[in-house]
Amino acid sequence: MSLSNLIKNWSSLRVKRPYEDQYKDKDYKWAMVIDLDACTGCNACTTACYAENNLPVVGREAFSKGQAMHWIRIERYWGEGEEMKGRFPDRGAQFLPMLCQQCESAPCEVVCPVGATHHTPDGLNSQVYNRCIGSRYCSANCPYKVRYFNWWQYPERAWPNPLELQLNPDVTVRSKGVMEKCTFCVQRLTEAKGRARTEGRRVADGEVVTACAQACPTSAITFGNLADDKSQVARTWERQQIKLASDRQEKDENLRGYRILEDLRTYPSIVYMERVRDSEA
Amino acid sequence: MSNSNIDRRDFLRVLGISGAAATLAGCGNTSIESGAELVESYVQPEDFVVPGVGVFYASTCTQCGSGCGIMGRVREGRLLKLEGNPKSGISGGKICGLGQAGVQVHYNPDRLTTPMMREGETLKPVSWDKAMAVLTARLGSSSALSGDQIAVLTGEISGHQKVLLGLLLESFNSTNHVVYDALSPTIGRAACKAVLGVEQPVLQIDKARLILSFGNDFLGAGPSPVHMAAQYARFRKAPRGTLIQIEPRMTLTGANADRWYAIIPGTEGVFALGLAHSLLQHQEYAHAVSADIAEALKQYDKDTVSEITGVHADALSHIAGMLWERSPNLVLSGPAAEGHAHGFDNAAAILLLNLILDNRGKTLQGQASHPFPQLTPITGSTGALTRLNQAVTAGKCQALVVIGSNPVFTAPTFVPFANNLSKVPFKVAFVTQLDETARQCDLVLPLLSPMEDFGTHVAGYQPAGVDLMIQQPLMERLYPETRGLGDILLDLLKQRKPDAYKAFPDYYAYIKTAVTKAKPVFRTTSSDDNFWEDALRNGVLHLDGPPAALETHAAAVKVDKPRSVVTDVHYPFYFVPSVKADLRDGRHANLPWLQESPDPLTTIVWDSWVEIHPTTAAEMQIREGDILEVQSATGSVMAKAYLFPGIQPDTVSMPLGQGHTAYGRYADGMGVNTFKIFDPVFDEHTGELALYATRVIIKKTGEHANVVKDEGPTALQQGRKLVVTMAADQAQLAKEISRVTQ
Repeated sequence: MSLSNLIKNWSSLRVKRPYEDQYKDKDYKWAMVIDLDACTGCNACTTACYAENNLPVVGREAFSKGQAMHWIRIERYWGEGEEMKGRFPDRGAQFLPMLCQQCESAPCEVVCPVGATHHTPDGLNSQVYNRCIGSRYCSANCPYKVRYFNWWQYPERAWPNPLELQLNPDVTVRSKGVMEKCTFCVQRLTEAKGRARTEGRRVADGEVVTACAQACPTSAITFGNLADDKSQVARTWERQQIKLASDRQEKDENLRGYRILEDLRTYPSIVYMERVRDSEA
Repeated sequence: MSNSNIDRRDFLRVLGISGAAATLAGCGNTSIESGAELVESYVQPEDFVVPGVGVFYASTCTQCGSGCGIMGRVREGRLLKLEGNPKSGISGGKICGLGQAGVQVHYNPDRLTTPMMREGETLKPVSWDKAMAVLTARLGSSSALSGDQIAVLTGEISGHQKVLLGLLLESFNSTNHVVYDALSPTIGRAACKAVLGVEQPVLQIDKARLILSFGNDFLGAGPSPVHMAAQYARFRKAPRGTLIQIEPRMTLTGANADRWYAIIPGTEGVFALGLAHSLLQHQEYAHAVSADIAEALKQYDKDTVSEITGVHADALSHIAGMLWERSPNLVLSGPAAEGHAHGFDNAAAILLLNLILDNRGKTLQGQASHPFPQLTPITGSTGALTRLNQAVTAGKCQALVVIGSNPVFTAPTFVPFANNLSKVPFKVAFVTQLDETARQCDLVLPLLSPMEDFGTHVAGYQPAGVDLMIQQPLMERLYPETRGLGDILLDLLKQRKPDAYKAFPDYYAYIKTAVTKAKPVFRTTSSDDNFWEDALRNGVLHLDGPPAALETHAAAVKVDKPRSVVTDVHYPFYFVPSVKADLRDGRHANLPWLQESPDPLTTIVWDSWVEIHPTTAAEMQIREGDILEVQSATGSVMAKAYLFPGIQPDTVSMPLGQGHTAYGRYADGMGVNTFKIFDPVFDEHTGELALYATRVIIKKTGEHANVVKDEGPTALQQGRKLVVTMAADQAQLAKEISRVTQ
């Protein structure tokens, strides 16, 4: 989308999202399911993301200032409320893989002064690097804190020769002053969509997955096309009675699916499945 | 990004699927003139190189001994990323963080790119001709060394690399292959052998309804964690299995338990015998042990056990009840239970529960027998290093070859290997990157990275049937002055026994011949070349085989009077080291992705730290970031305090693997080396170093520094419903849509 197109069609592009059956006749709406009962917190996904998406290693000092660039991180909690129950975490830790939720009504999008973060037709919340001026409004407005700012010129320091030979040529290496975030491995999606279009079909379920989902040793992450009723992701959303366009799910009590901070009306594209614990143990 | 020292031609050269490095075909004038050949474009890419398209090649991960099949994504001759190989029964198409970081071994900016030779105090670069001249002068045809005068020191090693090393030693009439593993599983394996008749049983985690694990970190730093993770995922699907973990310090596996209990370190065996006693009250288990053992077990009543272990007496009855109710189950012993003076007895007592509960053949099996025992790995031990150290001290060792082992960094202070090294007249190390041990050697030869070399591997843990894993180069070598281990060994062997090895121009020829010779075992009708190409394409040669039967030796379990652990007034804290799934014994501390990958339990990066229970910290007025001195009888280290609730309150824990001083820019100066504070405590049965038996005292230094971690200001969700938990009896897992690999 060119800037002139953006300005010209500003009001039509700024439609209220989401609305019911928004993707019903569309080819693609990318979405994810993360099973917290399968996630072990092993960090295989985070390292896979570094490898796939050219994430810079920032080093100890920058990390201590909160400048880590991990598009997906594993959060670890010890308690659900204001304090930990008991002396020990006797039901284990609470691990949460946190990445951009690709919100349908993304708080980051509306505050960008230059339209660098916007919504794609296949439902991704995308970041246009060469449009970004580094205001960081988007990061301030993101309730999940999954936007990462380039405080330094990482290409000059993060990949001393020959580490730069590992860089994925399909993914831009970002420079100083630019905001970045999880893209759902858009480079993989683009390639798969292109291949499918050439063959006159839609991308098949499982044909393309994100790097995190591909690596995950317990297959806790499922990625797919919500616009395809038969995809595993769409079937799981349906079985879990999660509606994309609803901010309050009316679902059966024993269903594990939920979206994080849903009441902020962000309409995330990621459904988490509740962690399970055997309370008899 | 432009100052690459690899030219474009090298870039475009990639190994084709045949494995041979094809060079651009030269054009003979006459054949072109005669029309027999067409003129080809000078920039014609080689086979399988399509600009802009990534191609995947199968290989085997060498980051740990699990033998996971991997796929390397190669584009324009460049290796970009590793994925799991779906054809591998071990990895099942998945890969861990440690495996991913294999590309950083290959592209590490601190790679050794030229041979180095000692000149006085320092190592100086020399040419390969000079280096090989020195090497062959010492270990070539004219060498008069024999028997134990020569020693080869490696980490766990398998496949044809192991065979070639054995052959080289044989040419010196020696069998002195020393396999050292600083985190050796020796004690647990010995106990398995004694109780079950095999050293490494196969765990059928997915078949268990209940797993009781005593410090076994099968999801983290255990054997074959990627395979275990897939098994675990199935274990958690309907009907969902339950995991109970008992250990002094929460491991990654403990963090995933349905119920976690803190136990006083070293008392795991007592708890297990308490469970055994409780289970024997049930009639159906009564026949499992002899009357003598049953009688002796009566001393292990729940109150005695509770007092010794620090675990509530009700917990014992409760766990025993669950084990009785939920069958088949699986009881696992782990390093935290085994690393004690009576570690063997602990492990045997834990394994006894499997005999009582009749888990043999249900959740525990033997490994299929391997048709190529010469290729199976040798398990390392610390005892091996101790014995080598004695030989070195006595001046018996004249030449030492070090490969994939860094004892100067990992040896405890009471094995002064580093000081004794000077007594060996000739020390040569084969490395991809200089480390603390290589820097003390006389000659250091730069190896190809695992992404540039051939190899065959056999995993120590074979989950089903038998696999011969194939490692092949994923791209051309980065540095012309590096060589493969196999090629160097073959050169030496050709010097020692020219007739026997003249048929092999290089290691590639050797390994291809060796693998195709194995063809009959795999019952295939394809030609030798096709068999070899299939092996490279698939990355694995698999053979189905029945699991071996397990034996029952309940008598191997010693049931003495219940022993309390003896406390030490000078060193009041138990010291429990933690093994990180990625850094392991520190050999991976040079990989920046792993340094910046937060520790799952604490979220700390790039550092060492001291885990202490919040109540203990409060009593001692210790806050997070206070710099503590952790002192044992053999040494002391300093690190920042981290308040960690998943730890027994009289215990402190520190991670292993940090504190390098000469291992490149990403490792040096990060944290402290906790190997250096181990007490000389040894398992009484195997003589192996007991890693979890050190006692320490904590001293506040008055200094303070910020802990560098990913965790925010709170470890609590504060009602935000980020991670929601459902009770297992409420969840209807059977109705869910699921797909798990393998």
